[in-house]
Amino acid sequence: MGPLIPQEIITGQWDFVIALLIGGAFGFILESSGFSSSRNIAGVFYGYNFVVLRVFFTAMIVAMVGLLYFSYFGWIDLDLVFVLPTYLNSMLFGGFLMGLGFVIGGFCPGTSYTAVAIGKIDGIVFATGFLIGVFIFAEGFPFYEGFYTANDLGSITIGEMFGVSNELVAFLFVMMAIVAFYVTWLIEKRVRKNMTEYKFE
Amino acid sequence: MNKNYLVLAILMILLAVGLLLVPERQNYQQIEPEKLMWDITQTSRFVTVDQVAQMIIEGDPTLELIDIRPVADFETFSLTNAINIPLDSLMKPDYQDYLGIEDMNVVFYGNSDINADQAWVIAKRMGYNSIYVMQGGLNCWIRKIIQPVEPDESASQEEFDLYQFRKGACAFFTGTKVEAPDAGKTGIKVVKRKKGTAVAGGC
Repeated sequence: MGPLIPQEIITGQWDFVIALLIGGAFGFILESSGFSSSRNIAGVFYGYNFVVLRVFFTAMIVAMVGLLYFSYFGWIDLDLVFVLPTYLNSMLFGGFLMGLGFVIGGFCPGTSYTAVAIGKIDGIVFATGFLIGVFIFAEGFPFYEGFYTANDLGSITIGEMFGVSNELVAFLFVMMAIVAFYVTWLIEKRVRKNMTEYKFE
Repeated sequence: MNKNYLVLAILMILLAVGLLLVPERQNYQQIEPEKLMWDITQTSRFVTVDQVAQMIIEGDPTLELIDIRPVADFETFSLTNAINIPLDSLMKPDYQDYLGIEDMNVVFYGNSDINADQAWVIAKRMGYNSIYVMQGGLNCWIRKIIQPVEPDESASQEEFDLYQFRKGACAFFTGTKVEAPDAGKTGIKVVKRKKGTAVAGGC
């Protein structure tokens, strides 16, 4: 039956209503996971707090496995689900830039808004800078359009790229996530033992 | 380590292993039965032999004629530029490229309506659009285009026009000589009442 809008079960005018509901839920989860604190977020780079990695990995594997089961039961047609096109150059550069922003600013775009929502001044500064950045990027887009669209791989998935099934990719990611959870738990334990400034627990 | 995390991690691993074990599902996009029912009861899928003849003569680039009869029949006689896809091979992957072409109107035809209509239903179930059936099939084609019957003298002007068109089409397809339209007969305006619609189909 799904996805609902491409299958014309509901009209496209529901887009914004659904976006609002999902956005609200997303913000709630971010805030309750402690993402409005830049210490939690930047902790992943210093090894004392891997909550970012855990939350996003969990979200990813649950969505992956869930969607594949939905597809198996015939509740969703994965061929109709939008897949973001992969522009290799801009994604590599963008990933690097985002990581830099993450460790310097202590927020990612979504979490800066949860920080704004609870009145954090650093969050407000970050969100303002982020909006200015968006404006500059949009205005100057023609200058770097060539770089932006270079190495266009199209709407490709990992399974298609390596010629394996989506189920196998999901399985490998789950295994990777579980291993990552365990390893980061060990690192956290070791780093926190030598830490005196901050207590998280 | 928190026991809950351990339980959740094991659950996640089991679910992921389950994904590897479930048989692959054919994600065949099918038309809903209600929609198919609606489409079948509509007559808009039919095109008349006259429309097909006109499109062939005009060289309509969007027309894609598909002959669903067996190969032997196709080789004996077929319409201009038709492609042969026997009904039993319609679902073969080799032929799928012919069906889903953008902006092309696929017209199925057989000796009569029945096989072409079956092909239409199968193609519709496979999710293709812009597909049509030539009403009456080749039998109707022979009767109307190749051997047109002159209408009665009391017939309407439209019927005479259609007859002239069919004679011209016949000449186009068979290469026979075109006789000049018989002004004596078509000229007589003895039309008593005008029939509302042009003769279309009816085979």
